Amino acid sequence: MSEEGRNAEEVRYRALLDLDVSRPEAREELVTGLHDESWRVRRAAAEGLVRLPERGAVVERLIAVLGERDETGARNAAAESLAGMGASAVQPLVHLLGHADPDLRKFAADILGQLALPEAEGALVAVLLEDGDLNVRVAAAEALGRVGGRGAAFALERVLSNPEPLLRLSALESLAALRHPPPLADVVPLLNNPLLKRSAYRVLGLIERTEVVALVCRGLAASESRSTREAALVALGQHSARMADGARPAMYAAVGEALRRLLGAVSWVTSALESGDIEVKTGALVAAAALREPRLAPLVAEVAQEERLVPEVMRTLACFGPETGRELLASMDRLSFPAREAAGQVLVDMVDESFVPELVQMLDWGEVDLKGVAARALGRTGALEAVEPLAGFLSNPELAGVAARALVALSAGFRAQVLQVLQTSLEQGAQPVVLNALVRVGGTAQLPLVRRIAREASVPLRATAVEVLAAVDPSGGLELARVALVDEAPRVRAAAVRVLGQVGDVSLAPLLQRALSDDALEVRLAALEAVGECGAVALAEDLEALVRHPDGAIAFRAVRSLARLGVLRDEVIQHAVAHEDHEVVKAALLAGAASGGGEALALGLLGHAHWDVRAAAARVLADSREERLLPPLMNALLSETDALARRALVDAVERLSGR
Amino acid sequence: MPFDTGRPEMTAEEFRLLRDFVYAYCGILVRDDMKYVMERRLWPRLEALGLTDFSTYYRYLRFDAQRRSELETAVEALTTHETYFFREPRQLKAFSEEVLPVLERRNARSRRLRIWSAGCSSGEEAYTVAMLLLESGRFEGWELEVHGTDISRRVLNAARLGEYGPSALRSTSADKLARYFVHVGPNRVRVRDDVRAMVSFGHHNLRDVDSVPLASRVDAVFCRNVLIYFDAPARQRVLRLLYDKLVPGGYLMLGHSENLINLSADFELVHLRGDLVYRRPEMGGGGGT
Ligand SMILES: C[S@@+](CC[C@H](N)C(=O)[O-])C[C@H]1O[C@@H](n2cnc3c(N)ncnc32)[C@H](O)[C@@H]1O
Repeated sequence: MSEEGRNAEEVRYRALLDLDVSRPEAREELVTGLHDESWRVRRAAAEGLVRLPERGAVVERLIAVLGERDETGARNAAAESLAGMGASAVQPLVHLLGHADPDLRKFAADILGQLALPEAEGALVAVLLEDGDLNVRVAAAEALGRVGGRGAAFALERVLSNPEPLLRLSALESLAALRHPPPLADVVPLLNNPLLKRSAYRVLGLIERTEVVALVCRGLAASESRSTREAALVALGQHSARMADGARPAMYAAVGEALRRLLGAVSWVTSALESGDIEVKTGALVAAAALREPRLAPLVAEVAQEERLVPEVMRTLACFGPETGRELLASMDRLSFPAREAAGQVLVDMVDESFVPELVQMLDWGEVDLKGVAARALGRTGALEAVEPLAGFLSNPELAGVAARALVALSAGFRAQVLQVLQTSLEQGAQPVVLNALVRVGGTAQLPLVRRIAREASVPLRATAVEVLAAVDPSGGLELARVALVDEAPRVRAAAVRVLGQVGDVSLAPLLQRALSDDALEVRLAALEAVGECGAVALAEDLEALVRHPDGAIAFRAVRSLARLGVLRDEVIQHAVAHEDHEVVKAALLAGAASGGGEALALGLLGHAHWDVRAAAARVLADSREERLLPPLMNALLSETDALARRALVDAVERLSGR
Repeated sequence: MPFDTGRPEMTAEEFRLLRDFVYAYCGILVRDDMKYVMERRLWPRLEALGLTDFSTYYRYLRFDAQRRSELETAVEALTTHETYFFREPRQLKAFSEEVLPVLERRNARSRRLRIWSAGCSSGEEAYTVAMLLLESGRFEGWELEVHGTDISRRVLNAARLGEYGPSALRSTSADKLARYFVHVGPNRVRVRDDVRAMVSFGHHNLRDVDSVPLASRVDAVFCRNVLIYFDAPARQRVLRLLYDKLVPGGYLMLGHSENLINLSADFELVHLRGDLVYRRPEMGGGGGT
């Protein structure tokens, strides 16, 4: 397009976007736009028409455009627009299904399919079974795959025996889309038809009958055609997805046998694993699990790039033996990120002592995720040689956690050695998690060291030390916490406050009161929690004031602490349920339920704007076991649109009605 | 105390709460069938924080004093950082052979070229673009800038470091390897300094329309394999942002499985010989509608 042409197009396009749709001329201007030479302008017009008021009239106008035989662009744009019209377009389009011109009937069926509204089911079924034009029937079959319904499924089953292959094909595809399994006997004859077998196998995968595996295996072993085998793989994947774990070994055995009869099975499965078709890939995973060929392991891991298939990938890799572990380890640094993630998880479960040298090498490589895998795996090897290399990561913020956990695991066999490396690394500025690990492995004998760290080390270590000490030695911890309350670092003060909550008592209320107004939010939040934990009822009034705080974090903790103290007054609950943050509302609801006033509260919250509050309210009502609450619950169910809230309401109704 | 815990399952409600919260923060949509993936990726966080269930973790994200940094860590865990040098060669070839000549002509006067790699992950894409600019031989003496941004701080560290292993190089030819990298270990290379000097990195959440760390507009945006994580409204918002940040006539490069159908008619589709790319039209350059 010339520069000038492009500018003119842009002007027309912008004009339609900016059009005031409330003006009476808007409709015809947009209809003119449907006839524009540029697709962008046509699309803008189609979208504009959807925004117009008076949908009925617009739908009629668009249907008129569908009838303009020589205006392909405009017709398609009108169809697109109709597909955006929702329910108001259904009746006029159903009417159009009776038009004398098959072309228009086909358009109507196509658009009804895009609308995918159940109101069109009956009319489309009639067209599928009775229309005189093959193309129209095919369009109806395709549309029914999106519209759905029982009538649709049965009608589609009926045309599986129609002599027209095209019709059978679209019926199969639609049954697959609807996930509706037809009778096995209707499908078996189609498995040999070159045009239909791909779809037939796919539908076969939906049928839950034991014979299916044998049929699929026959398809897999069919050496004459790759497409048959791929279709069988698709069915296999579908079948496997539904299968209970206990039934898998038998399936793998049958599939393995079929594949071994096939020349070049490994290379064929290799290419299926690399296929662009996700359903073929899914089946290929099952085939790989059946073959257990270590060379396939890295490719299986690569399938994890398709995130939906991650569980299947993990399951498949777990079927392979220990040889696979080495294969994965050796290829780890060449794998893609998602593949490494999957392979890493499986690898960790597979290693033994003999893997140590390779894992230690992997610790040296650059990427953090690989180092993490190696560290976790080293913890599982149960080997002394794993201890020293792990120690090197205790001061690395990204890896200290994994390394420390791995060392704790190794301490089962080598306690003294693990203690030694933990102590040494603490002297040299390890991460706080190491302190936890030390006390976990070394117990109270480590307390002098913990005390020293609490006085002298870095802020994160000081903070952790205060808490670690209290966990092992409550009275000593409390003493240390009182000192730490005046530490200059908020993180240390917050840790001290937490200790006061965990091991302190009401006599500490004055200290907590001061902490409630600390400069640092971190300390205030810890204090809110601590008040409830240690039973400092004297501070109830301070908490009540904070229930109305706009920050949900503060209000939430205030409500919970008051509830814990057993002093949450009705009036305060009322403030809390009016809070903007739905977690505060839920906390108040649960507290109210625990103290007996929950029903009234829950009834009021059945209409709350947040789905999770409604669900929580339904659960509170269900727990009441009061049958008289059924009517309001049923009422709420009628207007509930959220799936999870619905489920909670249904559960509640069932429980209260004793079902 | 943050000691080891068992591995809790995530309930449907916990999944929804976490998913919605993450979505509101960064527009990343965790699909329903990805509950398993979410569970697996967040387990280590529960473990690290010593939490026993996902409800508590959700409240931690909402209400803890460390919520901000934990949220970033969670998003980090949930996003895939898969990337490598010279990914999607067809598009890169079209960019080098057909887009760059256009940009050379357009900017001949200013002798300045700015390119944004939005959602750059560990930097391979940004460096690849820089290498292509050098490789083209067209911009001697020009002011060239490639800016990479990502929501994940961890990948940005890796990007700045510029060191990579075999996985990142799986699509890099031997001659490019020799020309643009130096060996730093048996299995590691580093991007050569002159390439690194052209590229800068910064933190940016694409949801955050107001804080794009780019002072002026850019001539091309690479935003590949990022939009796939967003749902339609979030994509539309991001596309609007990219549109605003492009000069009129500037190019938008998406991943090969991505397109703008039903998302944005703001961009025009340009049929190059080698590939299809998008472009902000020349007109309507006043910062969008
Ligand atoms: C799969 S990688 C793609 C990397 C590179 N563009 C490529 O195609 O090779 C996706 C990247 O998008 C980033 N990302 C996801 N959501 C984002 C957001 N809201 N803002 C910025 N970056 C985001 C992720 O952190 C990740 O690094």
